[in-house]
Amino acid sequence: MRHRLGRPRGLWARMRSQIDWVVIGFTLCIVILALTNLRSAAGVGWGGYVRDQLTYVLIGSAMMAGLAAMDHRVLYRGAYIAFGVGIGLIVMVSLQGVMINAAQRWLDLGFFRFQPSELMKLLLVIGLARYLQDLSAKPRGSLRAAGPPVLMVIIPAALVIKQPDLSTGIMLVLISVSIFAATELTLKGMLALLSTAVVGFMVAWQGLLEGYQRQRIDVWLSPESYPEQGGYQILQARTAVGNGGLLGQGVEQGTQNVLHFVPYGVSDFAFAIYAEEWGFGGTVLLLALYLGLVLWAINIASQARDRMGSVLCIGVAAMFFWHVVLNVGVVLELFPNTGLPLPFFTHGGSNVITMMCALGILMSVSRSLAHR
Amino acid sequence: MSGPIEGSPQLRFRFQMIALFAFAVFAGLVMRLFQLQVLESENYARKAERNFTDTIAVPAPRGRILGARRRLLARDRPAYALFVTARPRVLKKVQGGRPPVFTREPVGDDDVKRLAALVDFSDADDEARFVAHIQRLREDPQNGRYAVSVRSNLSWDEYARIQTRTPLAGWVEIRESAIRSFPLRGMTASITGYMREISPAQLKASPQAGYRPGDRVGKTGIERQWENYLRGRSGRRSRVVNALGVPVKDPPANAVAALPLPRDPIPGQDIYLSVDVELQSEAHAAMAGRRAGGVVVMEVRTGRLLAMVSVPSLDPNLWEQSISRKDYQAWLSSPFKPFVDKTVQEIYFPGSTYKVVSALAMLEDPGFDPEAEIECEGYVDYGGRRHRDSHRHGTVNLERAIVQSCNVYFWLLTMENNLTLAKMERVARRLGLGERTGLGINSEAKGIVPTEALESRQGRFQRGVLLNSAIGQGNVKTTVLQVAVLYAAIANGGFVVTPTLVDRIETYDHKVVLDNSDAQIGAPSSVNAFDLARIRKGLTGVVNDPLGTAYRERLTSVTVAGKTGTAEVGKRRRKSKKKQEVIEGWDTAKDHAWFAGYAPHDDPKVVAVALVAHGGSGVDAAAPVVMRVLDFYLGGAASGGESRPRAAGVPPPLPGQQHFSSQFSNRRHTRGRP
Repeated sequence: MRHRLGRPRGLWARMRSQIDWVVIGFTLCIVILALTNLRSAAGVGWGGYVRDQLTYVLIGSAMMAGLAAMDHRVLYRGAYIAFGVGIGLIVMVSLQGVMINAAQRWLDLGFFRFQPSELMKLLLVIGLARYLQDLSAKPRGSLRAAGPPVLMVIIPAALVIKQPDLSTGIMLVLISVSIFAATELTLKGMLALLSTAVVGFMVAWQGLLEGYQRQRIDVWLSPESYPEQGGYQILQARTAVGNGGLLGQGVEQGTQNVLHFVPYGVSDFAFAIYAEEWGFGGTVLLLALYLGLVLWAINIASQARDRMGSVLCIGVAAMFFWHVVLNVGVVLELFPNTGLPLPFFTHGGSNVITMMCALGILMSVSRSLAHR
Repeated sequence: MSGPIEGSPQLRFRFQMIALFAFAVFAGLVMRLFQLQVLESENYARKAERNFTDTIAVPAPRGRILGARRRLLARDRPAYALFVTARPRVLKKVQGGRPPVFTREPVGDDDVKRLAALVDFSDADDEARFVAHIQRLREDPQNGRYAVSVRSNLSWDEYARIQTRTPLAGWVEIRESAIRSFPLRGMTASITGYMREISPAQLKASPQAGYRPGDRVGKTGIERQWENYLRGRSGRRSRVVNALGVPVKDPPANAVAALPLPRDPIPGQDIYLSVDVELQSEAHAAMAGRRAGGVVVMEVRTGRLLAMVSVPSLDPNLWEQSISRKDYQAWLSSPFKPFVDKTVQEIYFPGSTYKVVSALAMLEDPGFDPEAEIECEGYVDYGGRRHRDSHRHGTVNLERAIVQSCNVYFWLLTMENNLTLAKMERVARRLGLGERTGLGINSEAKGIVPTEALESRQGRFQRGVLLNSAIGQGNVKTTVLQVAVLYAAIANGGFVVTPTLVDRIETYDHKVVLDNSDAQIGAPSSVNAFDLARIRKGLTGVVNDPLGTAYRERLTSVTVAGKTGTAEVGKRRRKSKKKQEVIEGWDTAKDHAWFAGYAPHDDPKVVAVALVAHGGSGVDAAAPVVMRVLDFYLGGAASGGESRPRAAGVPPPLPGQQHFSSQFSNRRHTRGRP
């Protein structure tokens, strides 16, 4: 066990045992790389995007510290209320949200445009955690028990997809599936889910997907044929990644970046710019940092004293894992263009703050291990 | 639905599987990165380089054209040119939440208008053509991609106005360029030629020549003939551009390092002409007042052209600016044909200057006695028509007939001595007539040497044509240069020279590419030397015998031999009495005036031929021009710049005698006819 017998003595010793320095270390490294990269991509020094992002990080850090200091069991009580508030915000967006690029995803708070669907990812994790905690106390084997959690996923996902924001909807589903896989699902159940997903995708392909969404897949399959539909962006991003080579062009030296050949370098395609300037060594380092965070979260989950803590950690791990995989996968042309942010790299307050809150919860669960 | 219990080994296994899954997916990402960044990185590095590399041509300085004593006839002068990319890269917003796209879009009408507002135009027509040019470029996806020069020779005002206008930055650029300068203006226009923008047809015809739209090429004269020597090879310079195709001020160091190495332009080669600029200037001045015509001065033994003047001519510098349609139309429709080089492109009846050909043709007949005399009554009756000469020449033999330019003598030759067209044609062709001289510039005309076949084809062969052909009328037509070659052959012993303008071609670092200075006569003599001597004697008499047709134009400084010619072109028109005969004070009913002469008569060095179209009689209009030129070139040099006309009553020197200068008169020789 990680702690000695008896109460820890002194502030330093308490800080060492109560604060999860692994999470902070990984996060700090990623944030530093992210801000450096954002500065390079924005190309206007430390002002503008970088200052914004730093502000979000600081706000997020405060919330992270607050959540880390809190016992995660407090969340048990507020879980459903928070979940309900999240649904309410998303409904509000569809009623009076801000339209950007033909999508209605944002709430205008005056000083800040807030994207409730980002927060929803975390709230869904909390809600599911509460439900699964409750479920673990009951007798097992009831198929009826599967109903409420599925509804808890489908309602926000459907609302988000209507915005339209298909990728965040898929993200919600992926996070939930990850949580179920870590707790309740059997292998048989997983296979059933997978086949349902395939059939669902084929049905969606036939009728439900909007034109632009279907086209994205066409573009992904042959970017050269659709330069005006985003193929240009994909090709230029791929060129940027390849141009990075083994050791990279150097920060603010990537020609694809500095000369503006990669559109959306501060948002969805930040990884392309990072890859160009840091090279293969840099990308492996970054992926290792993300993977380290994910594995550390799984490690905490496996040691959690209660199911709630375990599910929360799995949820946080899933959030990071799927964001990184989908964002990087898009840049590397492994998936069609989705528009999911790369945590801390993509400019945007909602995602940064949500991710830092998630890390705060992770630290909180981690702290509870220390008390054991 | 059922899951394992907390802390159980099953749960641990499940978490391990999840961790393994996460690890495997990340490993997949790394593999893809390895593929892109390590295995294929070279490929993408090239692509990135192609993205930011913009290679522009650095124009090579065009070679100079120089005359004798290194006098400049044409050179490049630095200037600023306006380049436009009619289909610039733009960031295009796309519907439906997708990212914007960089694409090439033709510039809008507003943009063109904004640019046109900054340029100074000579007139509305000029502006319309400027706008139309850009519109044409933007319709063309191929040429619209490059920066094309649409206006050279920007003024400082225009330069400053355009350079400071940032909205134009995406597609308008000012680059250093050069315009051609012809310091001697119209004086040497027919020699140097002029330059114009390359035509689309020419561009298409020679895709391998490396021309680009907007390049200027020589259109006539030396500029055209030696284009490939003059133009040099353009260099290349690469620069870093951003996604909009705009050069960046402070490019990343690694981008600069990846640029292809610049290639310096190779300047064009300098062309040294045999043209003596002072002599050219003198010949040009001598033609002052003559509305149309040409002068050629050539070395008799080498064919090097010392002067070649065609009037009227256009200042070739005009083509370096925009030319209004009105001016252009006026030039095209001008009766004086400023575009036509009167020395090689236009053919005229040679008139009596052709009599040397008839005489040589007759002399080749062994039965012909040149000393035999006839009585000239001033006319002959032939074919039911009376052919009139200018006046009665009395008793003449061949030599006297040449001296006095007696038409009757030559008519009688054709009538009584069987001087046929075929005989004349044989001699004429041997002396270079009816064929291009080989100078090679300004699309030389061949001229016409009549043959019986040719004359018969145009209807029934009339023997009257034969009579006229013997005196350079009928259907005989020659260029001025051909007559110069003809008289050079008479002067040099029967060798037909190929006239040349180019003495030497040097590269910019003074390597000689072509040296023509010691070119010698190659062809064997085409005419019997005795016959030539007889003709030469006659030609000397033309100028120096008191009865000679050009006696009153003789020089004191040097003894000239030559022949006048008065080609009757106006006869038929004179009858019609039309008003249009006189155009701007130019009486087109008047005859073409010729004079072909060489000097000194006993050791000929240069031949000079002048033609004054509708100038009147040869002695009045053309002979003074030749005399002035020969006096300037030979007399001036021989007598220390002093030359005097012969005082009245002083006998001319006989052929073969040395000239003695007059002791009576100190008056300067008045050049041209008083």
